[in-house]
Amino acid sequence: MERVKTGIPGLDEMLHGGFLPQTANLVEGAPGTGKTTLGMQFIYHGIVACEEPGIILTFEEFPQQYYRDAANFGWDFQQMEREGKLRVVMTSPEVTKADLERVGGRLEELIHEIGARRILVDSISHFERLSDDRSSLRELAYGFVNALKREGLTAVLTREQPALLGDVLSPEDGLAFLVDSYILLRYVEIESTMRKALLVLKMRGSDHDKGIRQFEITSRGIEVRTPFEGREGIMSGSPRRMMDSFVQAFVRR
Amino acid sequence: MEESQKKELDLTARLMSDMDPQLLEFLRTKINSFVKWDLVRFFHENPHTADTVENIARYAGRSSEAVRTELRELAEDGVLEETQLGSMTIYSLTSDPQIRELLRRFAEASDDRQFRIKAIYHIVRGSRGNPHVSHPGQYFKHNHTKH
Repeated sequence: MERVKTGIPGLDEMLHGGFLPQTANLVEGAPGTGKTTLGMQFIYHGIVACEEPGIILTFEEFPQQYYRDAANFGWDFQQMEREGKLRVVMTSPEVTKADLERVGGRLEELIHEIGARRILVDSISHFERLSDDRSSLRELAYGFVNALKREGLTAVLTREQPALLGDVLSPEDGLAFLVDSYILLRYVEIESTMRKALLVLKMRGSDHDKGIRQFEITSRGIEVRTPFEGREGIMSGSPRRMMDSFVQAFVRR
Repeated sequence: MEESQKKELDLTARLMSDMDPQLLEFLRTKINSFVKWDLVRFFHENPHTADTVENIARYAGRSSEAVRTELRELAEDGVLEETQLGSMTIYSLTSDPQIRELLRRFAEASDDRQFRIKAIYHIVRGSRGNPHVSHPGQYFKHNHTKH
């Protein structure tokens, strides 16, 4: 089956080759976990390795921030824009929503102008400000994701997770059910050091690696490493050694 | 004509004489306020942005009231495009390559301190005739410290 490679060592392996084409893929994590980096790497890899132009749709940061961040990894986004392979578009959710609802909107024009195949939406959390009503939010999310698919794009949507550690509280906008894959990035405290964990929670239409992997943000971008071994409760943020849990469970005090 | 007015005209002529005539014309006819200067710089740096008055004001660090008229005038002058999207009025950078090129040159020239001084002088002089700006010096001090 054809795959859309992220270009992230280790992640494509977890996804059994990459995302499925024309799908919406949610990447959720606390601030600083690497959601945007993952998305930028997905866009960069598409342009340089797959001849798939991309769009970064941002509701938060100015394009200059992306140029700077990308340059830190050696990715020249400004040059890619000049070559017509990338567009970094800053706008607001309300305008995007209205734009996608009409024929020949701006985003549609941009997609056709550069022949975009990939899109990073950073971040989808901003749609929450459009409505307080959960069912309206769900409809909005459905409409937005379907519009991206209609344009033939493979999308990475980032979503903020306010909790740095501990219980994860995802917004009840139904997005987790709607998307085709769901990747969770988390901070994990192990022996007084903070590490990062990645888990592919869901992948519709394909098998995937269910392990929780360590990852690092290096000078080349994200690199997914080996699974956490001999520990449990990783996604709680405060894992225990499995041996400790075993002792706790079986040894009577 | 009073002596002080004559002196000021002489100074203006000297300041503007070595400016690129196209940029000078652009400055005189299209960027005649500091808010507009900020807005065109914003759109030059974010050429794919299309948004409402309120959001553009937020991005530019200004109030909606401060940018509303300026955005409309920039659209009337062909620097921006005004589009009706449902109930929203959206502003984006013109697709006219000539205006975009002028903007690029203006942004490039603005990196030079001498050009900035001349441009600021021109805008301050121009804003004296603007009924919306009661005190150009104060306006400059509070709204345009970056330049």
